[in-house]
Amino acid sequence: MRKWGMAFALAASAALGGCVQTLQYADVQFTPPDGNYKLLVLRPDVTVGSLTTGGMVEPRAEWTDQARSNIIAALRAQQAARGGNVTIIEHRNALPGVSEQELADVERLNFVVDEAIVQHKYLGDTLPTKYGRGLDWTLGADAVKLGQKSGYDYALFLHAEDQVASTGRIALGVLGLAGCVVGFCAPNVGGAEQLDYASLVDLKTGEVVWFNVVDAASQVPGIKFGELRTPQGAAQMVERLLGRMRPGQDVRRQQAAR
Amino acid sequence: MCARCLEISRRSLLTGGAAAMAALHAGGADARVKPADMVPLVGPGFKPTEKDEQGLWKEMERVEEEIADSNLLITDPNITGYLRDLIGTVGGPAAKDFRIYLAHIPDFNAAMFPTGFAVVFSGLLLRMRNEAQLAGVIAHESGHFLRRHMIRSWRDQRRKSDFFAMGAMLAGIGGAGAGVYLGDYVQLAQLGTILSLFKYSRDMEAEADAMGAKLIAQAGYDPMEISTVWQQLIGEEQASATYRGKHRQRGSLFDTHPSDDARMADLKSDALELKVPGKHYESYRERYLATIGPVRQMLLDDQVKLNDPGASQYLIQTLAQDGWNGLLRFYEGEVWRLRNRSRLGDDVRAAQSYAAAVVYPDAPADAWRWHGIALLKEGRTGEAKAAFSKYLTMKPDAPDAAWVRQMIG
Repeated sequence: MRKWGMAFALAASAALGGCVQTLQYADVQFTPPDGNYKLLVLRPDVTVGSLTTGGMVEPRAEWTDQARSNIIAALRAQQAARGGNVTIIEHRNALPGVSEQELADVERLNFVVDEAIVQHKYLGDTLPTKYGRGLDWTLGADAVKLGQKSGYDYALFLHAEDQVASTGRIALGVLGLAGCVVGFCAPNVGGAEQLDYASLVDLKTGEVVWFNVVDAASQVPGIKFGELRTPQGAAQMVERLLGRMRPGQDVRRQQAAR
Repeated sequence: MCARCLEISRRSLLTGGAAAMAALHAGGADARVKPADMVPLVGPGFKPTEKDEQGLWKEMERVEEEIADSNLLITDPNITGYLRDLIGTVGGPAAKDFRIYLAHIPDFNAAMFPTGFAVVFSGLLLRMRNEAQLAGVIAHESGHFLRRHMIRSWRDQRRKSDFFAMGAMLAGIGGAGAGVYLGDYVQLAQLGTILSLFKYSRDMEAEADAMGAKLIAQAGYDPMEISTVWQQLIGEEQASATYRGKHRQRGSLFDTHPSDDARMADLKSDALELKVPGKHYESYRERYLATIGPVRQMLLDDQVKLNDPGASQYLIQTLAQDGWNGLLRFYEGEVWRLRNRSRLGDDVRAAQSYAAAVVYPDAPADAWRWHGIALLKEGRTGEAKAAFSKYLTMKPDAPDAAWVRQMIG
């Protein structure tokens, strides 16, 4: 389950405070999509679970379904407001003109590229060869071929996981706080955490042009910084993750010079 | 804190620790699970009704989609159909609900997922000598599903981690209130919790073994064959370790599965218990070999390239107990050629195997090629040319055909 490995690594790197953090990187030439663009969202990966007393995450089917439809609705609304034409596919056989295997290949390739981005951009393992070059990764010819066959300008990959502290976990936190009275103070046992990340691939060039991570973690069970089960919470997440796309370094310089 | 308290606490800690270990060890002797006690806990068309299990199933949807689309799968309809039929025979009440995937991974393994889909590694097909053995492994995996092991282990982990978290917190607060430090006990409890999770996992495996033996005996397969599977695996691991100058790894308290030796012994007792006098049990060797025939060369090829000469040699000799043939002799030669230690006579042994392989009508083209090269090295040019001609006749489009033609002159 390498997928979880990446999620844990990201969480560990960003979760030391009880707060909401976002950190985005972009290709130096990146301009956020605007106007009449066609965006393909591939199988949004959403999981919502309950945080048990002992700290395990128990996935919940109905919360996950709820969160997924909330996120999809929020995403559609947001992209429509920007003028984009968005298609969200749930299964690999749902894209006309592209075989399941081709789509699976692009998804898997994207996944390992995302892992490399996390490793070298977020976990501090900086590559000297990519220093000062913004986000410098590509999915190559396979992504270009996907663009040609499907007619989309961009592909968006999205991962969101959220936990809800169970009653037992909240009780544990309360106990930890109560212990302060006798001198055993452990209020920060760790509460719910929401971790989201997304990558945007330009299907004309195959390049990963933009990547963002949102981490909304709470050290105190019972206090939340995000909630994917409600439409408002999902809209907030989509706004945090995708709402403030910044242009790449070169583009910003040009804009400043003007 | 006073020195005396510390001393008492250390002594009590050791006593407590020893007691905990003894308790674990007594349980760790792992009494055999009786096949007769193993009744399926799910019926046909099972769907989860409780929230935690529904969540687990939901999570598995994506996992199955990923596996079903994997480019590592072997999709030959004859073989996948055969596996489907097998799980349909030994799958108990859920027989019709199972899905089974064959992954091209040269390793002894198979796995069942919580929603009832199984993955079998191609290395398993190489190691099984008959249908009863394969059915035994598949029935073991069915057993995990029929006994609801995934959700039961999940609940066990949840219960124990909940209990530990609460206990540790209360020990901290209580200790602080009473003015004693209980951290050492908490650490001991943590070790105890971890060990008991491993123990639970071993218990589940023992259940699946007993359930599997019962299922195949009911389907008319010889249940003794599963015990033989473990015997073969022990032999393979031993040979592999010996060739590498190491010792075979034995069971420990941190194992998720019972030791191979314990499983072999228990399965033997299971088989004796299950066999009904006068009833005829089958192993279906011919049917099995005929089905995997088309991929057997690929399986052997994968194995010899693992660079594990001890295991490969043991496997080939085990398979040869049912009769040598050109394919097995050729790959026996490959094991030595790839190990390539002429000081130990590997080149001579390889040459002998190739020479033995070409005597059989089923020798693959490459056996003739390497036989030719070996003859050439010995200076037997005329015979070498004949072997190369045979190679070209069998494989006219070989990538090295032009070179071989030039050699023949």
